[in-house]
Amino acid sequence: MAPDPNRAGTSAAAKDDAVAKKKVENEDLSDEDLALKQQLELYVERVQDPDKGLQKVALESMRQEIRTSTSSMTSVPKPLKFLRPHYGTLKAYYETMGESDLKKYLADILSVLALTMSAEGERESLKYRLLGSEGDIGSWGHEYVRNLAGEIAQEYAKRQSEEVPIDDLMELVQQIVAFHMKHNAEPEAVDLLMEVEDLDMLVEHVDKTNFKRTCLYLTSSARYLPGPDDMLVLDIAYTIYKKFGEYPNALQIALFLDNPQYVRQVFTSCDDVQRKKQFCYMLARHGITFELDEEMAADDDDREMLQDIINNSKLSEGYLTLARDIEVMEPKSPEDIYKAHLLDGRASAGASVDSARQNLAATFVNAFVNAGFGQDKLMTVQSDSSSSGSSGNWLFKNKEHGKTSAAASLGMIYLWDVDSGLAQIDKYFHSNDNHVIAGALLGVGIVNCGIKNDCDPAMALLGDYTDKEDTSIRIGAIMGLGIAYAGSQNEQLREKLTAILNDTKAPLDVSAFTAISLGLIYVGSCNEEVAQAIIFSLMDRSESELGEPLTRFLPLGLGLLYLGKQDSVEATAEVSKTFNEKIRKYCDMTLLSCAYAGTGNVLKVQNLLGHCSQHLDKGETHQGPAVLGIAMVAMAEELGLEMAIRSLEHLLQYGEQNIRRAVPLALGLLCISNPKVNVMDTLSRLSHDTDSEVAMAAVISLGLIGAGTNNARIAGMLRNLSSYYYKDTSLLFCVRIAQGLVHLGKGLLTLNPYHSDRFLLSPTALAGLITMLHACLDMKAIVLGKYHYVLYFLVLAMQPRMLLTVDESLKPLSVPVRVGQAVDVVGQAGRPKTITGFQTHSTPVLLAAGDRAELATEKYIPLSPILEGFVILKENPDYTEE
Amino acid sequence: MGQGTPGGLNRQGLPGDRKPDGGDKKEKKFEPAAPPARVGRKQRKQKGPEAAARLPTVTPVSKCKLRLLKLERTKDYLLMEEEFVANQERLKPQEEKAEEDRSKVDDLRGSPMSVGNLEELIDENHAIVSSSVGPEYYVGILSFVDKDQLEPGCAILMHNKVLSVVGLLQDEVDPMVSVMKVEKAPLESYADIGGLDAQIQEIKEAVELPLTHPELYEDIGIKPPKGVILYGEPGTGKTLLAKAVANSTSATFLRVVGSELIQKYLGDGPKLVRELFRVADDLSPSIVFIDEIDAVGTKRYDAHSGGEREIQRTMLELLNQLDGFDSRGDVKVILATNRIESLDPALLRPGRIDRKIEFPLPDIKTRRRIFQIHTSRMTLADDVNLEEFVMTKDEFSGADIKAICTEAGLLALRERRMKVEVTHADFKKAKDKVMFKKKEGVPEGLYM
Ligand SMILES: Nc1ncnc2c1ncn2[C@@H]1O[C@H](COP(=O)(O)OP(=O)(O)O)[C@@H](O)[C@H]1O
Ligand SMILES: [Mg+2]
Repeated sequence: MAPDPNRAGTSAAAKDDAVAKKKVENEDLSDEDLALKQQLELYVERVQDPDKGLQKVALESMRQEIRTSTSSMTSVPKPLKFLRPHYGTLKAYYETMGESDLKKYLADILSVLALTMSAEGERESLKYRLLGSEGDIGSWGHEYVRNLAGEIAQEYAKRQSEEVPIDDLMELVQQIVAFHMKHNAEPEAVDLLMEVEDLDMLVEHVDKTNFKRTCLYLTSSARYLPGPDDMLVLDIAYTIYKKFGEYPNALQIALFLDNPQYVRQVFTSCDDVQRKKQFCYMLARHGITFELDEEMAADDDDREMLQDIINNSKLSEGYLTLARDIEVMEPKSPEDIYKAHLLDGRASAGASVDSARQNLAATFVNAFVNAGFGQDKLMTVQSDSSSSGSSGNWLFKNKEHGKTSAAASLGMIYLWDVDSGLAQIDKYFHSNDNHVIAGALLGVGIVNCGIKNDCDPAMALLGDYTDKEDTSIRIGAIMGLGIAYAGSQNEQLREKLTAILNDTKAPLDVSAFTAISLGLIYVGSCNEEVAQAIIFSLMDRSESELGEPLTRFLPLGLGLLYLGKQDSVEATAEVSKTFNEKIRKYCDMTLLSCAYAGTGNVLKVQNLLGHCSQHLDKGETHQGPAVLGIAMVAMAEELGLEMAIRSLEHLLQYGEQNIRRAVPLALGLLCISNPKVNVMDTLSRLSHDTDSEVAMAAVISLGLIGAGTNNARIAGMLRNLSSYYYKDTSLLFCVRIAQGLVHLGKGLLTLNPYHSDRFLLSPTALAGLITMLHACLDMKAIVLGKYHYVLYFLVLAMQPRMLLTVDESLKPLSVPVRVGQAVDVVGQAGRPKTITGFQTHSTPVLLAAGDRAELATEKYIPLSPILEGFVILKENPDYTEE
Repeated sequence: MGQGTPGGLNRQGLPGDRKPDGGDKKEKKFEPAAPPARVGRKQRKQKGPEAAARLPTVTPVSKCKLRLLKLERTKDYLLMEEEFVANQERLKPQEEKAEEDRSKVDDLRGSPMSVGNLEELIDENHAIVSSSVGPEYYVGILSFVDKDQLEPGCAILMHNKVLSVVGLLQDEVDPMVSVMKVEKAPLESYADIGGLDAQIQEIKEAVELPLTHPELYEDIGIKPPKGVILYGEPGTGKTLLAKAVANSTSATFLRVVGSELIQKYLGDGPKLVRELFRVADDLSPSIVFIDEIDAVGTKRYDAHSGGEREIQRTMLELLNQLDGFDSRGDVKVILATNRIESLDPALLRPGRIDRKIEFPLPDIKTRRRIFQIHTSRMTLADDVNLEEFVMTKDEFSGADIKAICTEAGLLALRERRMKVEVTHADFKKAKDKVMFKKKEGVPEGLYM
């Protein structure tokens, strides 16, 4: 705590007063003031009277005067002002007094006087308080208590260093905390307890009326506290939430702490099935794999149903409900997205070009736009009329590896709908074109993204293909498995895939994709065996192979294992120091940025920024991941995010090309699915950069920041870019991809890995995003080369940006809700509005970045305070129709 | 977009004549500069280093550890930026390059340059301009001019021969407004005001405190007042108090006199008011002081002349600025007038100007203080008994007292007394003179 943050108002005024006083010594006072002054002077004299009776009366009256005086914000209360000259006298007299009640009384008054008189660092107010009568602390007013709290904090620090007992202090702290908690000053109570390192005390002082505000303050502070304090604070918040039965919030914290034990506790301490269903929806959105056991849900049927929710098996259904309600089921073709007719002549000429690159772009656009709808205009049409219908035609309009992406796009179109998806993809398994089979395999993985199924269709279908001859088939299967089982930590897959890594004869690209898949499957697990496998594979690579663009996936896979796990990465980071110097720094940056992703750790940002400030000449490539790393670390909270955007501007200004190429991508990650105007402008500027790779990255990032928003301004920019770059196929390809992203899921999807009021970070979603971004660091070799299907890694981050309310039998239930911009209400008094500029809709509704919803009816009670995704509504028993 | 670009015409090649990436890149060197994101609308928020320097706002505003932590986080990032930039400046590998670029730009610009006005933007590379002297020209815009900032009507720099646009004059603040900014704090401070304690406290609470301690208001859950109006007899210290506020505050202080807001041309008055508040917002936190507001703020009645209507429109704009749609969080308004009864009630409605602070004629005690203040730097003879004047029954305003003191001093000066000591007799004479002068202008009967 700053030495004296709470007294500024008074002390500033006090200074003014002092100045005024010096100027006019013989200031005339109004008659009342004069009377008061004389009165007080009299008291002061009386206090020093030998007669105990008189002393007592004088002290009493003095106390009375001080308490009753009403102070104003801009000036010191009059009695205090008049007593100030006598502070020294009283202090001196106090020392001469014998032990008695009166002495304590005087100490009380001195303690109050010290409020304005005590010299900086003397802490006299506290000193006399401890000597005083220990009466009700609140009777001297807020200002006094605040000041005391500040002095306690200082005293505590001092005593800690001198190892002096602190019992008397803690007693006072008890009183102050109780006082603050009673008077709506939760932040102050928390602050004091943090200073004296005894947050546990909070638990006994919170009650029904203030625990929410208290916890909100705790959780928001955790973002900015250095470790391990942040964990401590969250722990307390968890305890409090659990104590008051706010299980959804407790679960949130449990997920944030990534503590399965706590998650378990939430399940076991609540015995309402409906509420458990809600917990399951929250787990499902977070995208982690979680098995319920008998203790968590006793009844078998219940457990099965709950597990179903966690497994996301109803996600497709809910998404389609939303789509139907918003009436966007109608499939869209790439031309509907390009809107070439809005451009003048020249561009349409460009658009009609029938080239493999353009068709490939159309394939992706089609896949992104119709993702999850189960219908489109290229891949699924007339699929039942004849075997060689136009779907086949479209597939074969793509060349070679293009067919892989085309076949896989079917998976995207049937996203989350495993049954129909598999039925559709099945036909390609029998193709005699290896690229098509590879695409089908990948498609199966995509369909199963985020869905768990007891029959494990993905494993059953893909398992056998990982060891086939053909590399493209192998990659398709491996990548499919990685996407389907991301975060599952599946043992069987580990054995299968580590075997591939250990095989020294495996081609580099197969190894690269295997590393990524392992990274995804074991994301954030710190699994040592997997780490070993990747490390060995890296060490085995020849020097020339280390220079290959795809090699970057090996360190990245390693990094994903430690995603967000902070210092657990250290051992591995040590090992990486022994790598060949060609990859060493690259690996170092990747590990660092992954391990601290989503933590907001400023020191790491500084470290990464330091690496970016060097000017390289040897063609080193590690600055790209460093730049991305800044975004990954800083994206944790709004403030750091804004500041990181500023820092990136500097990088643009001073950095060399390899940095400038990564900056747009970093911006894209920071503002993913959240088109901030300033970032949009920066990217728009960069999209015309003379360095074509900077321009490409900027264009892709325009798509990323607008992903799933249908943002008209970005759409317009991209349209203009499409005519500007009509001759440059590579850039045009990027523009098309970006256009597809902006209309992702026809505007129903988001790529934001943050959810639940931007509190939780889904690890698989983030892993998918950074894999794709790392691939974009070498756009020409990877995305524009033959590995364009890395774009499908985005599927891991795709989620409907909706609020879908369901009743207790999980049927959609339409209720009115208010949707508006979220307001930060932490530390605010009263019951402030949590949203502003709201509109009333009926569910299901779309939520944009930074939006928050609240129920506009009393008829139902939501089972989760965070109205996002699936929310179960319970009828309000107290509701009466008007 | 993209039409009429020089490169555009010869690039109308066949669809098939694409080149491999490498070749394409070389060609791009000659491509026209990027089309602006949007033409014709100036980007307000984005101009210059000033706007970029804006830091994210930190909530909550009340003082607590969370706020401290957040501010520290911001500071950490700023330190990193500083470190980074300092590093780069030290290395400066691009310095020469930048220098080269700059000299090239200077070459292209040519010198001297002339100043003109942008009349119309044709496309992203051409515009119609008018120079201060002659006719209008159709000219090109050089590629390094920031087209996002161009808007019709703005002042531009032109090449002296070919008249192409080579730069733009950034000063977009109306010069009328920029002179209103108080650069040098006035000398009067709170200590120079006699009495008026309640008024000082009120103005502090309503104007200074919301700017320095917004959290106090947040704690209570109210919005701080937007502004105050000071009213009372002439010479009671309204302007003086405003000066003292300007003296003590670190906020930007803008001062205007109501009459300045009345302009020659139709629409200029309201525009000036708008500009004034926009500048205040840009420079926030700031205090806008409008003295003699009765010049524009009188009650509305059926106006007969266009001039009157224009004055009323100016007032309407003022009303709008006071509580219009744009929130002016950190702008506080102080109005002052002698004639509050003649002001339009809409102006004084709560929500616009919430606090009305009356300045009464000084009472005996205050008079004594004012005398003290104004005589404090004069050498008084021993026989001077100021009490006599303090206790008189005549109505004195603060200004009258000042006038008496000044007059007395002048009398003493006239007689060139040694050491220029002012005597009691001087004061007496001065008082009579001042009181006489005061009554002179007004018929006796009416004045009573
Ligand atoms: N309360 C006061 N204390 C000291 N001087 C005063 C006081 N009131 C007025 N004066 C003197 O009178 C002069 C004119 O006062 P001013 O504030 O301009 O009056 P108005 O209220 O008409 O704006 C000031 O420059 C100051 O010297
Ligand atoms: Mg005046």
